[in-house]
Amino acid sequence: MSGQTSSLTDNALMRFVGHLGAISLLSLRTLRALFKRPFELSALTDQLDKAGIGSLSVTFLTAIFTGMVMALQFSVGLEAYGASLYTGKLVSLGIVRELGPVLTALLVGGRVASGITAELGSMAVTEQIDAIHCLGADPVKKLVLPRVLACTIALPLLTMVADIVGCVGGMIVVMQEVGITVRFFWEQVIDTIRISDLMHGLGKSVFFGYAIAIIGCYMGTHTKGGTAGVGRATTETVVYVSVTVLVSDWLLTNLFMAIYG
Amino acid sequence: MASSTPQQVTVAQDPVIRFRGVCKAFGPKVIYAGLDLDVLPGETLTIIGGSGVGKSVMLKLLLGLLNIDQGSITAFGEEVTAMNAAALARLRQRIAMLFQGGALFDSMTVADNIKYPLLEQSWGDAAKIEARVGEVLEMVGLPGVEHLYPAEISGGMRKRVGLARAIAVGPEVILYDEPTTGLDPINIRRINGLIRHLQARMGVTSIVVTHDMDSAFTVADRFAMVRDQGIAYMGTLKETERCEIPWVRDFVVGGRGMLDE
Repeated sequence: MSGQTSSLTDNALMRFVGHLGAISLLSLRTLRALFKRPFELSALTDQLDKAGIGSLSVTFLTAIFTGMVMALQFSVGLEAYGASLYTGKLVSLGIVRELGPVLTALLVGGRVASGITAELGSMAVTEQIDAIHCLGADPVKKLVLPRVLACTIALPLLTMVADIVGCVGGMIVVMQEVGITVRFFWEQVIDTIRISDLMHGLGKSVFFGYAIAIIGCYMGTHTKGGTAGVGRATTETVVYVSVTVLVSDWLLTNLFMAIYG
Repeated sequence: MASSTPQQVTVAQDPVIRFRGVCKAFGPKVIYAGLDLDVLPGETLTIIGGSGVGKSVMLKLLLGLLNIDQGSITAFGEEVTAMNAAALARLRQRIAMLFQGGALFDSMTVADNIKYPLLEQSWGDAAKIEARVGEVLEMVGLPGVEHLYPAEISGGMRKRVGLARAIAVGPEVILYDEPTTGLDPINIRRINGLIRHLQARMGVTSIVVTHDMDSAFTVADRFAMVRDQGIAYMGTLKETERCEIPWVRDFVVGGRGMLDE
C-alpha cells in the first residue's frame, strides 16, 4: 500500500518536473522567436485587445468591490482602537502591494489562460498547429509569442487600473463610514504609498502575466484527445494558473521585500 | 510478382524518400519496429492498412512533426532526423501535406488560408499571389469561395481547400492523409483526377494514405501495406489486384465495393 502511494507520488513528481522542463523550453523558444523578423505587430495588437481591453470590466468589478469590502472591514476593526481615520492608508497599501496584482492575476488569468488553452487546444486537435509547421512557419512565433508578450504587457496595466479603482472603492466606503473628505483620503494614500510599493505590486504582475500566457500556451499546444481533451486541458489550465499565481506570489513577495524592504 | 516484404522489390531509380530501420513507439505502444520503405520519384505510392497501425504517423515522421526512436529517414538525399528547424522548414517547402480534416485555420478566410504558405515562402507579389489563389481553387473545383471562412463551408469543401493550400506553392512531393474520406462520389473522382493530374503534368511524387480502396486503385502506381509494425506487403497495382496473400486480399477485397459484387 505504501509502495503504491510512493509510486503515485513519484509519478506525480515526474509529471511536474516534465511540465516544468517543457515550459522552460517553450519559454526559451519564445524568447528566441522575439528576435526573428518580421515582427508580427498585428498579432500582438489583436492579443492585447483580447487580453487587455477584454479584461477591463472584470478587473474593474473585482477591484472596486475588493476596495469597498476592505475599507468596510478595516474601518470597523480600527474603530475599536480609535484609528479608523487611518483606514485609507491600510486599504491603499493592501491593494497596491498585494490584492491588486494577485486578484487581477487570478481573475484575468482564469479568463485569459483558459481562452488561450481552448483556442490553441482546438487548433492542436484539428492538426492546425501541425499545418503551421508544414506550411513553413513557426507556431511559437505565430501563436505563442504574441500571447506571451500581450499578457506580460497587459497584466501590469490592468493591475494599475485595479490599484486606482480599488482605492476609489475604498474611498467611497471610508467617506461614508468614517466621514473623511476626498482630499484627506488621497493625502493619506499619497503619504503612504512609496514608489517601492508600486514596484512591488507591478513587478509581480509582470511575472504573473508571463506565467498566465506561457501556461495557457503550453497546455493548449500539448492538448490531445479531441474535444474532450480540450475541455480537460482548459480546466487544468485554470487550476495550474491559480496555483502558480498563489505560490509565486509568496516567493516574489519575499524577494521584493528583500529588495525594497 | 507481388512481394510480401519490401526487400524483394527491385528499385531501379534512386528513391526520393527512404525509410530504413525506423522504430517508433508511443509509451508502451510500438508503432514501428524496423520500418523500411522507398518512394520513387514521380510515383504515387498508396499506403494501406488497418486503423491505428500508424499510417498517418509515417507521414508525420517524414515531415519531422514526430521524432523517430531509431533508424533513418532521408528525403532528397538528406537525413531528416538530423535536420535543424531551418532545414526542416526548407524540406516542408518541398513536401506538402493534405491533412485528414483539411486543418484550415478557423480565424482566416479561404483565400487567406491559401495565401499563408505563399506569403511565408515569399512566393511573389500580391497580384501574383491573388492569381495563384484563384488558380488553385479552380483546380479543386471551388471557384468563388475566397471570402468564406472554414466554418461556412462543408467538410468536403474544407478538405479541397486544404488540398488547394497544399499544392499552392508547387511542392515536389505531396502527402495525402485520407484525401477522399467524407467526400461525395463526384468530388472523390475530382480529387483522384487531381492526384493523377499533378503526377502526370508536374511530376509530383505522392504518398496517399487511404482506406478507400476504389480511390487507391485509381491513383496508385504501387501499394504498401502496414502490418506487424512495418511494411508487410509491397506491390504494383497489377500485382496487388492479383495478390493471393490472404490478409492483403481480405483488406483489398473488403474495401472495394465492386469486388464484393
